[in-house]
Amino acid sequence: MNFVPLALYVAALVAYVWHFAARQPAIGRAATTLLVFGALAHTFVVGMQTMEAGHVPVTNAASAISTTVWLLTLAYLYTEMSTDERAMGAFILPLAVVLQSIAAFNPGVEDRAELLQGPLFGVHVSSLLFAYASFALAGVIGLTYVLLFKEIKAKHLGFFYARLPSLQVLDTMNYRAVVIGWVFLTVGLLVGFVWMGNTPSYDPRLQAMSLDDPKIFVALCCWLIYSFEALAARALGWGGRRSAYLSALGFMIVLLNFVPVSYFLTTSHNF
Amino acid sequence: MHLFLVGISHRTATVELRERIDFQTRGLGTALQALQARNIAREAVVLSTCNRSELYGVGDDLSVARGALVQFLSDYHGVTRAELEPHIYSVAGTDVARHAFRVAAGLDSLVVGEPQILGQVKEAHGAAALAHTSGPLLNRLFHSSFGVGKRVRTETGLGSGAVSISFAAVALAKKIFGDLKGRSVLVVGAGEMGKLTALHMKSQGVQQVTIVSRTMASAVRTAEAIGGATAAPWEDLLAQLSAADIVISATGAAAPILKKAQVDSVMRPRRNRPLFIIDIAMPRDVEAAAGEIEQVFLYNVDDLRTTVEENLARRANEVHRAESIVAEEVDKFASWLRSRSAVPIVVSLRQRFDAVRRTELDRLTVGLPPEMRERVDDITRLLVEKLLLTPTEQLKAIGDADLVNSYAEALTRVFNLNTQAAGDAAEEAPRPDTVRAGRRKVEPFVRPQKR
Repeated sequence: MNFVPLALYVAALVAYVWHFAARQPAIGRAATTLLVFGALAHTFVVGMQTMEAGHVPVTNAASAISTTVWLLTLAYLYTEMSTDERAMGAFILPLAVVLQSIAAFNPGVEDRAELLQGPLFGVHVSSLLFAYASFALAGVIGLTYVLLFKEIKAKHLGFFYARLPSLQVLDTMNYRAVVIGWVFLTVGLLVGFVWMGNTPSYDPRLQAMSLDDPKIFVALCCWLIYSFEALAARALGWGGRRSAYLSALGFMIVLLNFVPVSYFLTTSHNF
Repeated sequence: MHLFLVGISHRTATVELRERIDFQTRGLGTALQALQARNIAREAVVLSTCNRSELYGVGDDLSVARGALVQFLSDYHGVTRAELEPHIYSVAGTDVARHAFRVAAGLDSLVVGEPQILGQVKEAHGAAALAHTSGPLLNRLFHSSFGVGKRVRTETGLGSGAVSISFAAVALAKKIFGDLKGRSVLVVGAGEMGKLTALHMKSQGVQQVTIVSRTMASAVRTAEAIGGATAAPWEDLLAQLSAADIVISATGAAAPILKKAQVDSVMRPRRNRPLFIIDIAMPRDVEAAAGEIEQVFLYNVDDLRTTVEENLARRANEVHRAESIVAEEVDKFASWLRSRSAVPIVVSLRQRFDAVRRTELDRLTVGLPPEMRERVDDITRLLVEKLLLTPTEQLKAIGDADLVNSYAEALTRVFNLNTQAAGDAAEEAPRPDTVRAGRRKVEPFVRPQKR
């Protein structure tokens, strides 16, 4: 089911990259149209899975990734339409395509364990997925910031100079995405702790919920990095390129936690 | 009827002469009226910019029109014909379209691809439309040229990239700060270059301009010249530096006035907000090492000149793409122009057919109830239109003017048409309703037929 949006995302990726290189408005419009159709198809897929399972499809790694890609696409489309700036699509789409491929080629069985009933669990997972989508956006924006920064600093005004929005705009977008992501990350983690405390069970996975578990440990590391970037960095003069690097680094860790850790390492979150 | 054009531009005349042939000071409307009073052309548009003055016209006799237009230029501006003649260029027919399209695209501009010209072309046509001197031919020509200008702008990179030092500085500032509104500029030194760049920044919406100079008096003078700027004493240089977003340094100092350590010292109070330093002084005012500081962007004149040259080279690469768009559009215009030469004969053919139809309609439908009469009217009109559709298309598709003429002659003879009257009517074909009113008098000769 995840293949139809994947195909549309791949088509949109090609169009966005083409538009980025050739800067033809018609190709840009085509890219947006393809992405809108991809997002619609993805909405349909997520909607069907929700109806089938009776809840938002987030309980195994593949469906959680797919839902995150869906949120990322919607967040990106919102950014593109509100800023009228298409250049970022060429950087966001590769990420969406890679993640969506993981979800499409490794589908899991979506069934909800007895343990995972209740509204708190839903809030926990959807907050975190939304946070991850925001961090993905921030990371990619940070990457483009660094590319443009290097061109201007090196006095070689070339490829990215002609195509990307201004440093100020990229910095602001990065900051907003990080703050939004940080709020959701905080809510998600807090709700997770509350849920854990309120769920009396002898399930071994619940026993493993501690700082020793890699998934929880890395998530807390992310929270520390993003807390610094969202709250303290700018006051300390860490705006601009350093913030951009922080966003990129933070997202690397998020990605690490999201894919390899979820699939192979964690003993607590393998539902 | 032919299109023609007479003009002078930066390619043929010096700035002194161009200034004397300028239509803008007295207004395009006045010029168009004066031109119309001479009855040289059926249609006319005057295009006047600081780099060119051109008269576009439509008339019957090209050689007469050219002489008359040069005479008009000479009389209107008080320049003798002998002075003017060597600098005049004139073209006719589809070459006028090629020239107009190249002008609108910015291909004929002093700085290739400059953006103002399209607006000036629109202004020229707007003035002519207002003065009613522009007709079907020039309307089509100018609307097509707007389209060419727009296509070249969106489909090629001809207009992209700054091509002067101060434009390049503004473009860079925008790439760093986004919008320049609300930003503050510090000008160090009271020289002309600094003043010009500051004025340019100000026109882009910069909020605050501060001038610092070794002598307070000249700082105040420059601040007044810029307007809305403030002057500050030399001792405040570092304090001003920590408040500014953009610094334009252009003093005549022999040694650097801003060392790396000094710039570094203001970065902490600035909390590392980006600082864009434009060092246009020769020798340089700012130590080159200052550019190594994180969040400091230091550009000197040579750096800016390099970007300007890169942009010019990039524009030159786009010229052939723009030229091929122009060629494509000239072809379209030429085929439209050709199809027009068949218009008079087509119109008179249609008028003849319609006249016959009306006469018979009036004769044969007396006594019919009005709704019946209307129905018969509709049917016959449709019939005539269908019959004439193929001949019309065939005539308009003929590319060769001589062939069109021989067809026209044959048709005139076969149908006994009056082409002269039709030719005049071609500009505005009469609407059927007005014709009907004039034909009402025909008396019925036979009794109405039974149905």
